[in-house]
Parts: sequence; structure tokens; C-alpha cells
Amino acid sequence: MKGTSGPVLPASYFDGINARAQPVSLQVQGPALRVTGELIDVALDLRDVTWPERTRHGIRVAHFKGGGSVQSADAAAWDAWSRGGGLHEPLVVRMQQNWRWVLASVVLLLAMAVGVQRWGLPLVAQAVVTATPLSFDVSLGRASLAVLDDRLMRPSKLPVAEQARLLAALAQALAAAPAGSVPAWELVFRDSRAGPNALALPGGTLIMTDQLVELVGHDTQVLVAVLAHELGHVRYRHGVRMLVQVTVLGGLSALVLGDFSTVLSAAPVLLGQASYSRQAEREADAEAVRLLKAARISPAVMVTLFDKLEETRSQAGKPGSGAVREESWLGIAFASHPADADRVRYFKEAAAR
Amino acid sequence: MNLPQTDTCAPRAHQLAIEFTGSGSEYFRIWIVNLLLTLVTLGIYLPWAKARRLRYFYGNTLVGGEPLGFHGNPRKMFKGYVLIGVLFALYSAAGNFSVFAGAVALVLVAAIAPALLRASMQFRLANTSWRGLRFSFNGSQTAAYRAALPLLVPGAAIFVGLVAAMYVGVPPAWQSLMSLVILLASLGVLPWLFWKLKQYQHNNYALASLQTTFTASAGSFYRLLAQIIGVAVMVFALPLVLLAAWAFSQRGAAVGPGLFTTAVMSLLPLLAMFSVFVMVKPYLTSRLQNLVWTRTRNNALYFLSDLRFKALLWLTLKNWLLIVLTLGLYWPFAAVAQARLRLQAVTVYTLESPDLLVGQARAMEGDAAGDAAGDLFGLDIGL
Repeated sequence: MKGTSGPVLPASYFDGINARAQPVSLQVQGPALRVTGELIDVALDLRDVTWPERTRHGIRVAHFKGGGSVQSADAAAWDAWSRGGGLHEPLVVRMQQNWRWVLASVVLLLAMAVGVQRWGLPLVAQAVVTATPLSFDVSLGRASLAVLDDRLMRPSKLPVAEQARLLAALAQALAAAPAGSVPAWELVFRDSRAGPNALALPGGTLIMTDQLVELVGHDTQVLVAVLAHELGHVRYRHGVRMLVQVTVLGGLSALVLGDFSTVLSAAPVLLGQASYSRQAEREADAEAVRLLKAARISPAVMVTLFDKLEETRSQAGKPGSGAVREESWLGIAFASHPADADRVRYFKEAAAR
Repeated sequence: MNLPQTDTCAPRAHQLAIEFTGSGSEYFRIWIVNLLLTLVTLGIYLPWAKARRLRYFYGNTLVGGEPLGFHGNPRKMFKGYVLIGVLFALYSAAGNFSVFAGAVALVLVAAIAPALLRASMQFRLANTSWRGLRFSFNGSQTAAYRAALPLLVPGAAIFVGLVAAMYVGVPPAWQSLMSLVILLASLGVLPWLFWKLKQYQHNNYALASLQTTFTASAGSFYRLLAQIIGVAVMVFALPLVLLAAWAFSQRGAAVGPGLFTTAVMSLLPLLAMFSVFVMVKPYLTSRLQNLVWTRTRNNALYFLSDLRFKALLWLTLKNWLLIVLTLGLYWPFAAVAQARLRLQAVTVYTLESPDLLVGQARAMEGDAAGDAAGDLFGLDIGL
């Protein structure tokens, strides 16, 4: 035996044509694998051999490029032989056979998930939004309005004079804000089939529902405050941002969990989307405070809205609905808005400042 | 043992049991490293990850004591992924561009889907070995298109509906009726389509001189659909009845009328999801595997699959529970347990001695694009 030769291992050889196994012995000799048996004696270039990964279970099989394979059921003997022959393991195999590496991978993956969710995705979304022309927002908003009008909204029943009064009040309040800090907007009134609400569509269309006007007792200041909040969504282009974030999150989630269950892979998207939505609400609240202060309206008027909403809820007085409304941590995780109490506190503190 | 021959001097069949030796903790480590590398490389590692996963699962599948081997070249698979990825991007972009372009793209994808299925089968089989011999898939292109023929029925229904809506003008009341007809047509041809596809696959697996033959009838697939609908109705109706009974018993206790509706409304989607994924799917999986493999038989080679619904149901329940509790980290353990249960339910019988099989010197490798297409378009080749 030459000095560069490794140990010898008994193995089974399949020639790739006949299904009968032949007993052979294997030996690494320099850059070659020598396979010796009763009917065979070849030296194969080591680069033409696909080596098995070191695993705890299963039979070790090495496949040859030109067809054929050698195998051994004695994994421990194979591994010792492989080390003795000076064969190197790829990094991946060493990683997955080492619990410390595996643990590090788990931690790294979790850190990546959190990092992507908290900073990565919002950053990417911000970049995409900056690169997207405003005309995209406008066309998106127009399409959304058409869908809303078709499904959820009817023409407003508010008197034209009332509509004009609210429009003028909003315009006057916004005129006080620093020039260039208010995006282009348009206010429309609709009769809602889904209760009191105000909406901002990408591109600057603000929808005020008759039900919300009635809920707050036609209080102009409260309505201006609500619309200032909605205008915050327009200014930060939350609609398009959300679109980008949810798309990317969906792709990543499908990559990780897709081969188990498409249903389950939707859960991170829902949770992530809810978290982004709450963040957007907070941003819009801050914008509302800024606009209200510029217009010399106290942010505390917003509290009226929450009081009125709470009032209608308790008036509805369903015993079941109380339990549903209870703000458990699970409810918060899936909620699109921060808890009302937090928002009320925020507006009260802003008013005091 | 259940030989197809009745004469007593028939040669004895060689029984090859299937054993799966993979372990959850080991696959967990392969999976987590794969996942990390895939995310770090922004998906470029995906084909390498897939090749390593398949090597592990194949290598731990022992047929008659000898493992299967997976030989797919990740570099080739990567090229396939890129090609199919570009096609997929073009397909998605077409839909955004205009409705017409989207429709054209859809028709094009539907037109090449059978060819992709064939390519994917060829790739998978040509890159699978047992005892040093490569498998092969002998299905022809024409047969692939013939297998997809049932799709023409709902396709024609949709086409007629669209033309009618565009040129004749259909009153809104008719539109829902038309969608119902299309839905029924699709559901009606589904078992037929599935039978044709399985027939195409299971008639064409080959190893050396052995080739499989598919003997299940279309009728058996329709019977299976009926059973599944029955199970689904039962699974869905039972909790509903229980819920109604409970609500009725509570009525005396002066609970508001809203409570029952609220409970049902909040439970209903959950119930539907649960019943479909945890109850109906294992039923379908077990019955389909048994039907398809036990009816894959000829004089020289046949299979017996005895996958019990109850065993699969318990395993599925356990897997779901643990996956949810561990936020997904249990998935590799679940995958291994499921593979073990499903694979070990199958036994292979062959009249030819496995030792005496002689294969071709150099089998063709197959087209990796087909394999990638199988992944991206969700063609489950389900071996």
C-alpha cells in the first residue's frame, strides 16, 4: 500500500446495469477511489463521486457520475473510513450534525423573522412607495371607490348645504397647516351600508359616511379631526405601503410554511398585516394631532368620537358582544386598530401638551 | 398474500416490504439549515435545499432492504427554476396588463401544463434509482394531452358563459345560474380527470423490464368522491347538531338570542377549516393511496397499500396540534411521521427476482424545468 492510501472498507457495489449487488472493498488512493471486487477493479476520480451526507439513520450510498454506486449499511464504519481517507465534509453537513449550529440556526431564523417584520419590510415598502408615481395611488383609489360604491355605499342623503359646510370647515382647518405638508385631497359623502365610518383611499379621496356625521351629532370639529386622521393615511401613502408589505410577507410565509399548509401560512400574513395596520393608525393619529394643532382645534375633540362609538356599542347591549369586544392579547394581535383606551389617552395627552 | 393467478404452479412472488428509516430530529436539522440558507441567499439555495431534502427521504426509503437514490442535479434544477420563474412572472404580469392578455396567458399555461406534467414525471423518475438502476417514465406526449381531456368540459362551459355574457348580454339572474352550471361541470369531471391523470402516471412507471399497469376504473373514483362528500357532510353536520342541541338546552336559562348566532358565526369558518384539513383530507389521502396503489397491478408486478384512515387521522390531529403549538417548528417531525405511515403501508410484489433485473446502460436525465414547474404551478406529482 502507498503512503497516501486510506483504510479499506467492505461494501456492496451496483454497476448501474445489473441489479445484483457485488461485494467489493473501497479505498481512497490519492485523488481516486479504488473499487476492488471479484469482477471489478477500477479507480474513480474523487470528483466524480457524490458522497452521502453523514446522518444518523439510513444506509450510506455513494453514487458515481458514470452510473453505478457503492453502499454500506454500517454507517459508523463508513464514517470512520471516510475520515481516515481524508475526505472532507461540506460545511452544510457539519452544520446540521451539530446541535449548537442547529440551535444557532433557529435563533438566527427567529431574529431574521422579527427583523424583517419590524424593520426590513417597512424599509422595502418605503422604498417601493417612493419609487411608485402618485398616479398609481390615484388609479388604485379610483378602483377602490368603484368597488365600495358597488358593494357597501349608496349616494349620501345629507343636505347639500351640510356637505358644503363640512367641506369648507375641513378646507379652512387644513389651510392653517404649513404649506406643502398637506397632500391633494377630495372629500365625498356616502350613505354607508356598514355602519358609521370614515375612509381614506390611496390618491386622496376621503369618504365621510352619513352615519358617522349623525353619530357625532353633526359636530364639525370632531368630523374635521376624523378627516385629519384619514388624511394622515393619504400623506404616508399607507394603502400602497400595505399592499407591498402584505405581498412580500405572503411570499416569505409561503416559502417557509407553504409545503405544510397554505392555510397555516396565511397566519403570519394576518398577524403581520394587523401589526402594520396598527402602526399606520398610530401614524395617522399623530398626523391628525399635528393638523388639529395647526388649526387651533384641541385634539381632545377626538375623544368625543370614541365616547360616541362606545355608547352605541353598549346601547346595542348584546350580552354576547361584550365578551367579543373584550380586548384580550389575542384580540389585539389580530386587531387592525390599537386599543381605544390607548388612542383616547394619546389624544388627551396631545391636547394637554 | 393475494396473487392474481389462480393456478397453483404460478411462480412465487417476491415480497418487498417498504421501510422508512428517516427520523424527525434529523430531518429537523436538515430542514432548519435548508431554511436558513434559502432565506439568506434570497431563495437561490432553493433547488439545493430540495435536492438535499429528497436525498434524505429517498435514501431512507428502503424497498426490500435497499434504499432509493435521488440523483437530481441542483444546478440543472436551478436553471429550471429560473426558466419557470420567468414564465410565471410573465404570466402574472399579463394579468395586470389587461384582462385579454391574462386570458391568453391562462390558455397558454393550460396548453403547456400536460407537457410540463410529463417533463416533471420524467425528471423525477429518471433521477430516482434502486439497486443502481434508474427508473423511467414512459408516458408519451399524446397520452399526457389525452389525460387532460376532461378539462375541456368546464373549459367549454366557461367559454360559452363568457361569450354569452359578452355578445348576447345575460341578465344578472342568469349569471349565478351559469356559475352554478360551471361549478357543477367542474365537480362532475373532477374524478374523471383525476382518474385519467393517475392512469397516465401509473401506466408508465418502469424499472428495467418491470412496468406498472393501472387497473382502477373511473367508476371507483366517482364512488370515492361520493364517500368523501358523505364524510364531509357528516363531519360538518355533527358539531352543528351538537351546537344546536346545546343552544336549545340553554334557552331556558334566559340567554339572549344573540349568543347562539354569535357562537355559530364565529365557530363556523373554524369548523369548516378543521373539518376539511384535519378530517376530510386524511380520509381522502388514505382511500386514494389504497385505491391507486392496490389497483396498480399486472402479472409481473403489483402493489398492496393498506393505509388505515384511523391511524392517519390520529397522526394528522397530533401533527396539527404540535405544529400550531410550536409555531411551525414541529413540521419536519410531522413530515417524517407522515412519510413513515404512508410508505410503510405499501408492499411491492414482483414475480421477477430483483437480483436479476437488468437496466439500460445510460438512462436519460429528464428536463429539470418540468420539475420546477411542478413546484411552482402546484402540480402534485404525488408518487
